[in-house]
Amino acid sequence: MTTTTLEPKLVQTSPVERATFTYVVRAEWIKLWTVRSTWWTVAALVVLGAGLTTLVCWGNADWLANDPEADSPGSFITWGMMIAQVCAIVMGVLTVTSEYGSGMIRTTFAAVPSRGRVFAAKAVVVASVLFVVGTLTALLGYVGGNFFLNRAGIGMSLEGDVLRAMYGSGLFLAGLAIFSMTVGFLVRHTAAAVSIVLALVFVIGNMVILIPGDFGVWLARLMPGNAGGSIAAPVPFNPDLLDAWAGLGIFVAETAALVMLALYLLRKRDA
Amino acid sequence: MIRAQGLTKTFAGKTAVNGIDFTVEPGRVTGFLGPNGAGKSTTMRMILGLDAPTSGTVSVRGHRYAASPAPLREIGALLEAHAIHPGRSARDHLRWMAASNGIPTTRVGEVLELVGLDSVAGQRAGRFSLGMGQRLGIAAALIGDPPVVVLDEPVNGLDPEGIRWVRSLARQLADEGRTVFVSSHLMSEMALMADHLIVIGRGMILADSSLQTFMAEHAASYVRVKAPRSTAVEAVLVDQHLEVKRHGDELRVQGLDAASIGDLLGAKGLVLHELTLVRSSLEDAFMTLTADSVEYHAKAADEIKAGARR
Repeated sequence: MTTTTLEPKLVQTSPVERATFTYVVRAEWIKLWTVRSTWWTVAALVVLGAGLTTLVCWGNADWLANDPEADSPGSFITWGMMIAQVCAIVMGVLTVTSEYGSGMIRTTFAAVPSRGRVFAAKAVVVASVLFVVGTLTALLGYVGGNFFLNRAGIGMSLEGDVLRAMYGSGLFLAGLAIFSMTVGFLVRHTAAAVSIVLALVFVIGNMVILIPGDFGVWLARLMPGNAGGSIAAPVPFNPDLLDAWAGLGIFVAETAALVMLALYLLRKRDA
Repeated sequence: MIRAQGLTKTFAGKTAVNGIDFTVEPGRVTGFLGPNGAGKSTTMRMILGLDAPTSGTVSVRGHRYAASPAPLREIGALLEAHAIHPGRSARDHLRWMAASNGIPTTRVGEVLELVGLDSVAGQRAGRFSLGMGQRLGIAAALIGDPPVVVLDEPVNGLDPEGIRWVRSLARQLADEGRTVFVSSHLMSEMALMADHLIVIGRGMILADSSLQTFMAEHAASYVRVKAPRSTAVEAVLVDQHLEVKRHGDELRVQGLDAASIGDLLGAKGLVLHELTLVRSSLEDAFMTLTADSVEYHAKAADEIKAGARR
């Protein structure tokens, strides 16, 4: 055979330009918005979050205004956001597990070999989207719900704890999405990851409240959904829960611990 | 250039790749040939840094894959499993890949045209046939115009026209001076595509040579001789220190070409009924070579039979 070495005409002789973190974020942004599930999940989040808040305020405005035994209207003004959590969980999980399910994760890691960068870029994209969508949805729910509360004479102005609950909803959903994404990296399977996070937040989080004594109270306070959720309501239904910012701090710490574990395994395991 | 040194991968105690050394040179198509399960895909995943080697190293253009400043501009890969999200369109898939390495978006249209998918670029990849998926995978491999191209089983699922296209594309890429590394379990395909062959079996390199050398060394040829007085013919040939094997009524002769054998026997006045050069195919050569790597099983089977007879 001929072993003449051809002059490589297309081989770069100068070092190629280093891909920056911004490029990876842009790639993850494109990925997020080029699958239909994202649009469906965002639509469901807005409809459930704002719609249910409006509906629940309409149904309870008279009772809240007239019964001295009733809960605070501040517990109702972000009611829909409790259900909207499901959408944030699904979105966070899918950004990761849809890639493992299709095998695309290998293309991702071939394009961006630093797995920590991929993790960080996904977290930045999904958290910023959910912060914005979550805050806007909470505001939309406030506008709808407060209309009925106003009519019953118990309207709230958009300040103090009410205002904090608006961007608090965005912060909680953003954190929940990162939490869910992390579980996605750990278990690499859509149904398993969604089930685990839903069970943790909605089932276990509410069941531990039934454990008697201080132990039960503290366990309930520290469950991720309960700790992080108190910032998303001006007045939580459960008076035992931690204060809004303390709760968020606990939730962030728990998420950070989970992220550390996921990053360690992500670097160790084969893609 | 790709260089592996003592590359080893063990999965749960089972060795998939066993301390292999090889170099893939630029400017030619190097075929990576082996039966299914020989360790081809594992080796390719290690080249791309997707699987971490248990021991040993593999480098692309002198450094680890993960150390590349913009990997898609250095090495493009078609992976065996399509590795594409079924809900995303071909164009969007290439768009995010380009964005991740700072490759201009104009390149997306170029590679779509190159692989002939420009008319279906907006369709979801999940609707693609196996062949279209392969073409999209090849487009993804070429997005960064990389000097090194790795294609894992590129002809799988392609129609004859597509297979010819991949063959000429591999040739073109090599002629442009790129390093082209193509895996296959089909010897016949490699014979048409590769300049150089690396044969792997049970995680070990069985051969690493040019296609011609491989043929000469492993595809044994002999001259078939049929003659009415075959015993006399055999005696003459053995006299000349040629290697002669008898198979029924034919003699298989190695060590001299057909014309010389004819001259030799003609001079002795012996009549011949057949004088043919038989060259075994590359497929046979591959089978012969990989048979060695399963020899252990064959021996074990013989021993069992022998034991049963006793």
